[in-house]
Amino acid sequence: MLRRLYLLYGMMVLATTGYAQYRGWSLNRVNELKNVPKSVRDNPGSYRSVYRSYHGYTGGK
Amino acid sequence: MSAGPPSPPRPGPQQQPATPQVKALDCPKCGAAIVLRTFGKAETVVCDSCHSILDAQDPKLKILQTFQAAVGEAPPLIPLGRRGKLRGVDYEVIGFQRRSTEVEGIRYIWHEYVLFNPYKGFRYLTEYHGHWNDVSPCKMLPTPVLSVPPKASYLGETYKHFQTCTAMTGFVVGEFPWQVRVGETAEVTDFVSPPRVLSSEKSENEVTWSIGEYTYGSEVWKAFNLPGDPPQAMGVYENQPAPVHESVSGVWAAFAAFALALLVLMIGFAVMISGNKEVFRASYAVDRNTFKGETSFVTDVFELGDRTCNVEVETSTDLNNNWIYLNYALINQDTGQAWDFGREVSYYYGRDSDGPWTEGSRNDSVVVPSVPPGHYYLRIEPEPPQGFQHIGYSVRVVRDVSVFSIYGLAFLALLLPAAALTWRRLNFERLRWAESDHPMVTTGSSEDD
Repeated sequence: MLRRLYLLYGMMVLATTGYAQYRGWSLNRVNELKNVPKSVRDNPGSYRSVYRSYHGYTGGK
Repeated sequence: MSAGPPSPPRPGPQQQPATPQVKALDCPKCGAAIVLRTFGKAETVVCDSCHSILDAQDPKLKILQTFQAAVGEAPPLIPLGRRGKLRGVDYEVIGFQRRSTEVEGIRYIWHEYVLFNPYKGFRYLTEYHGHWNDVSPCKMLPTPVLSVPPKASYLGETYKHFQTCTAMTGFVVGEFPWQVRVGETAEVTDFVSPPRVLSSEKSENEVTWSIGEYTYGSEVWKAFNLPGDPPQAMGVYENQPAPVHESVSGVWAAFAAFALALLVLMIGFAVMISGNKEVFRASYAVDRNTFKGETSFVTDVFELGDRTCNVEVETSTDLNNNWIYLNYALINQDTGQAWDFGREVSYYYGRDSDGPWTEGSRNDSVVVPSVPPGHYYLRIEPEPPQGFQHIGYSVRVVRDVSVFSIYGLAFLALLLPAAALTWRRLNFERLRWAESDHPMVTTGSSEDD
């Protein structure tokens, strides 16, 4: 019974993996927006990224 | 500790059904009424009133032993005289004894119930901390198997040695098919093959073998129609069936097959399905002298074809002990749909007392998921650090790439249930054998102890 459940579960994992690859799923965090005005192409400054105003990395050892 | 009878049962009449025979006699010591439920079959009977052990085979009930029962002696969980149906056979509880053994200064106590059916003879129920065993005498002599630790074979099944201890009878009441005595001791050896336990009981004169099968308290309660709930089973008992009944190796075999299928899937997608097609590439730079005013810009339009699938945006820089933040927007020229993301690229290096070190990377990539086909362009807005001089970077857009982290997640998803099942099974076995003469994990002790 348990082995059958695992077989079913494993097939679901494989099927989901195949579907995810085919549809191009990703683990990256990306913000999706709708209806960006066409004027952005002519005036890039009219669009403001939600990630803008990054305050800078202060890395280094 | 599951040892049952020290003597084999005597078969009852086989020819004709008979009603249970009950005979009332008086105790020769205190005069209390003695009920013999197995008239002719029991060897001893115990007076419930004065605790005299009487010879049930003697018409005058000769006194064999008297003992002092402890004040507050707990009554049997199944009252004497209670009838029930165990494995389809009617039995009556006719005797009860409390036995114990002492191991490393700790006294372990268990209880044994004598059951009787006039046609089937005697049967036994043992109980230890809520764990029950249905015990009957062996029909043939088990054979020892030479091994370390020892094993025994019975009816084609091999049993592993679990424990050998000295059991002492501490309290008796009711009837017994053997010459029971309070204070008598016997060497009890248990061999287990869950859910069964094979027990030998060695006394001065004889060795008897019995076979027990683990029984849940709820089954006993149902069989004897007892009120309330059975005592909660504590810990893991020697022949308690594992919660994971099936072989864990079967699940691991399935895991191996799935892992192989996952590898085939990964290679198949990478080689045959994933396009991995470069659709755009360009190089840019931010310079301190020209970095003024509006710094965002858009790229040329590129086409993302085929089907809805991912897009990888790669950034390569010439950073040296510096960083740059790039605001990206992948915009569909036709629909206005956009994917907005920011990427920080930083690369630092140097040398200290530990030697050379590096931190970060000059390159970065991000995979934008499920982008429909269409005409796209990138809006890029660089944010360099203050005091920068010149940072060059290039952007490359690749359509339909394999995301190997998804395979990693799938591998983990396949591995976790198998690992959890194995851990549960191993932990259960560890707890089982912890109480045996052969624990799986021994606790360390120094030689000075």
